[in-house]
Amino acid sequence: MDPSIVLTKNPDAAYRVYDGQATVVLPDRAEVSVLNEVGSLVWDRIDGKRSVEEIIAAVLEHYQVNADQAQHDVFEFISSLRDHGMVFG
Amino acid sequence: MESCQALMSEDQPAMDSSLAGVDWVPGDHPLAPTTQPFGALSIGLSIGPLSLRIEGLATEQAKELQERFHPFVKDCHGPVDVAIGLRKAGIDRFLTPRRDGSIEVHRLVSRLVGTRLELWSYEFSGWVETRIGLAALSLVASSGPLFHRGVENFLRALTASFILEREGLLLHGAAVVRKGKAYVFFGPSGSGKTTVTDLSPGDTILSDDLTLVVKSRDGYQAAGIPFGMAHHRVPNTCASFPIASFNRLVQRRSVDRHPLKGARASAEIAASLPFVMQDPRQARKALETVSQVLAEVPAFRLEFRRDDAFWRVIEET
Repeated sequence: MDPSIVLTKNPDAAYRVYDGQATVVLPDRAEVSVLNEVGSLVWDRIDGKRSVEEIIAAVLEHYQVNADQAQHDVFEFISSLRDHGMVFG
Repeated sequence: MESCQALMSEDQPAMDSSLAGVDWVPGDHPLAPTTQPFGALSIGLSIGPLSLRIEGLATEQAKELQERFHPFVKDCHGPVDVAIGLRKAGIDRFLTPRRDGSIEVHRLVSRLVGTRLELWSYEFSGWVETRIGLAALSLVASSGPLFHRGVENFLRALTASFILEREGLLLHGAAVVRKGKAYVFFGPSGSGKTTVTDLSPGDTILSDDLTLVVKSRDGYQAAGIPFGMAHHRVPNTCASFPIASFNRLVQRRSVDRHPLKGARASAEIAASLPFVMQDPRQARKALETVSQVLAEVPAFRLEFRRDDAFWRVIEET
């Protein structure tokens, strides 16, 4: 994955954050997902402006994890979001 | 997201051979339904905070619906939240069921066009304008199971949309009233909703399938709806009761109850909301309402087995 790409949320997704965890509903796929704290942080920063690189930096800022691990986890998570049609880009 | 839609039965509208394989879509098919009502009679319904008037009924239809929806039938003269005009469809079916022997999930198509919600399935098509309180329903049959199924399917979806506008929800869940409080049990088909009601013989059963969650001045209340589709319980009361808890059913060998909070609770309830989660605007409104409900009413994961021991756990916790 190219870390310079900028992602956008699926505009149809409805979501709500509770104590750092997000409930996301994707109407056209009839799916409800719960994102954990890290996932919610990534989801929150997918805004059509920040690059994936910047999102990885935000994860590193909030969690004690090494850079390689953070990049791997964020790539994997974004790949999953793409597979579910939750983000574009 | 789970669906409360059932597998198709054999009792589907008859095929019109000249239209085999064609699905009707509002506004883009030359075979628009006729606008002829069945008759001149009306009946009124009171469902939770909603008042409805079903218009355009023939004598026998009005009589059957009054019997079927008792005790939700109310005086319908005067203003109501929504007036629903029934009409003869003039065609044999709106959607074409599969005839190749394969299992087909019952299809109910909906779309929001501006503020107008359009819904159609095999035996009916209709639209709802919640803001102006008007709805129209075209039915392929004037009597029998297809007529009643069309009316009930449409009214259930209509109720879900209207209650959402009133900061409430139509939840795929059972509701049992014990000592004046309503306990809501929810989960996908097969999770045990009907079992829980069967294990509560001395209590008032509001529903074993669909429960209205109603916002009132005194907090959130549960109410039943009269649309049981012949195989679900229709309550013998139209009253509302304060909700003590929401309980996500999970069948286990032991009995226990754990708090369900935050995003997990929200997701579990959101996954049990039929009809309103397919449209982005309604889905956003529903999530917001779920959040408000959970701020006032506790939710739990209820592990239970097929005996009434779950009541002891509920009453102790």
